[in-house]
Amino acid sequence: MKKLNMEQRWRLIDSIIREVVRYVEYKHTLKDALSELTVKPLTGIPIAIAVLYGFWSVFTSFAGLITDGFMVKLFDNYWLPWLQDNFPGQLGDWLYSLMVDIGHIENGKLVPSDSCFESFGVLTSGLFIPIGVVLPAIFIFYLLMTVLEDTGYLPRLAILVDTVLHRIGLHGYAIVPTILGFGCNVPAVAATRILETKKQRFIMMTLLAIFIPCGAQISIMQNVIPDYTGFVILYLLSGYFLFGFILNKIVPGRSPEILIDVPELRSPTMRNISKKMWIRIRGFLVSAIPLVMLGSFVIGVLYLAGIIDFLSKILEPLFVFWFGVPKETTAPLIAAFMRKDLAIAQLQGLRAQGVISNTYQMVSAVVLTSIYFPCMATFVMMLREGGKALIGALLALLAAAFLFGGLLHLIWIVMGVM
Amino acid sequence: MKNVLKWYFVSLGICALILGFLSVVSGIGGEGFIFGFLEMPSDIFRGVIGGFILLFSGIFYIDGTRKMEDIHQLAKVVMGSILIWILAGCEIFSMICSSIPGETGWLNSPQGFLVSYMPPYAPSVVLLPFSIIVLYVIKERG
Repeated sequence: MKKLNMEQRWRLIDSIIREVVRYVEYKHTLKDALSELTVKPLTGIPIAIAVLYGFWSVFTSFAGLITDGFMVKLFDNYWLPWLQDNFPGQLGDWLYSLMVDIGHIENGKLVPSDSCFESFGVLTSGLFIPIGVVLPAIFIFYLLMTVLEDTGYLPRLAILVDTVLHRIGLHGYAIVPTILGFGCNVPAVAATRILETKKQRFIMMTLLAIFIPCGAQISIMQNVIPDYTGFVILYLLSGYFLFGFILNKIVPGRSPEILIDVPELRSPTMRNISKKMWIRIRGFLVSAIPLVMLGSFVIGVLYLAGIIDFLSKILEPLFVFWFGVPKETTAPLIAAFMRKDLAIAQLQGLRAQGVISNTYQMVSAVVLTSIYFPCMATFVMMLREGGKALIGALLALLAAAFLFGGLLHLIWIVMGVM
Repeated sequence: MKNVLKWYFVSLGICALILGFLSVVSGIGGEGFIFGFLEMPSDIFRGVIGGFILLFSGIFYIDGTRKMEDIHQLAKVVMGSILIWILAGCEIFSMICSSIPGETGWLNSPQGFLVSYMPPYAPSVVLLPFSIIVLYVIKERG
């Protein structure tokens, strides 16, 4: 075979190009023009705000419809009274307390609980929280998330937030684990693989574990502090950026730029949506229900054995004086390691019993539950993905919990509400 | 016809601007008000953020009507309508969700169900029918 010189090669290339490439004037379609509007900052930011507004609004309306409209009635009016009447034993017995209702003290007497939020039993709170509260929220969250993914809007959002996320050592694609984290932190930690360097993955994992509340947490917050959920999320997001900025300054390593190929906007297909939904919901059902039931059981055992009381006494100075929450918050914080949603439901129980005396204490306790430690599933995932870096992430996490928990207490004191 | 459509969208944009501004003000003040069939929301989320989106929809309309025959300008008008559809869609979805369950029983009574859809409406719902005209413009353009 004859070897071509440089000039002959170029001539061959030219002739191939003449054969296969056609030059015509490309006319922009309306879809192209709309697509451009979504990535230009001046027009893209209001559109992004509208999309996220729609996301949040549909999320809260749907979760409210299923949980408040049907599940609370089913569990509080039928399931709890049926178990209270038919389960062997009575209030105060070990097995009954663990499985059905731990009860609470009113005027010196142990009385049965009125709702599955307060009962803390494996068969009551342990089923109501994952099925009645969290499942509807997770369902609608993943549905909306899948629609955003499949329409091609997520890469556009990545472009819009790229500059801001560079300030905290990340880049635009960090929006993917961040938004996923609002559903569940476990796939979000797995999604940190999208980031190139160890530094970026460390920062992202740490921020996810501390400052991004999962869908389960958000849905239960919507139930127990509906007027303050927005405030809590804003507080956590400000911590996300502030702490990210600090981590970017102190963590050694590179934060490279990204080059994104933006796909065109398209209609999602039902087949893809249903497949993705099934995979995600199945993952939730398999991991959440057993963990919440186990969490309810462990907390019940610790409570009945007096260990919670013992820990409450030891931690009282830290809780009362630094964080501004009652010492009884110890039990929900232990539960938070199993499931954060279970922990917030337990805080609601403490509030109903008058232990948490006002809304501000409740907000502080909810924030503390969010930031003090990742849940067990996220912890295991971080261990798998982060390895040795996990120790650094946990130290950062404890520092953040101490500072941001104390800062919120300070804010309440300055406002004169505590 | 072009001029009629141009002034139609300018007027719609001005209405969106005014309603958006009022919505932001009532949201910040925390006191919504009812004016005929129009209800200004009193909360930060629907009032301030929703009002802000409505304001931008007005800006998109007004800016897009300059040389509307250009596809990029038309896209701004379409985006103005899309913002209203997002807001109104959320309002209507919220109405549907709150109309289904009853206060004590499982389902709402027929009367209670219908009452949920009675006025007053949020500004985006009032603007919704007027914003649909943009579909005619897209169809005409082919």
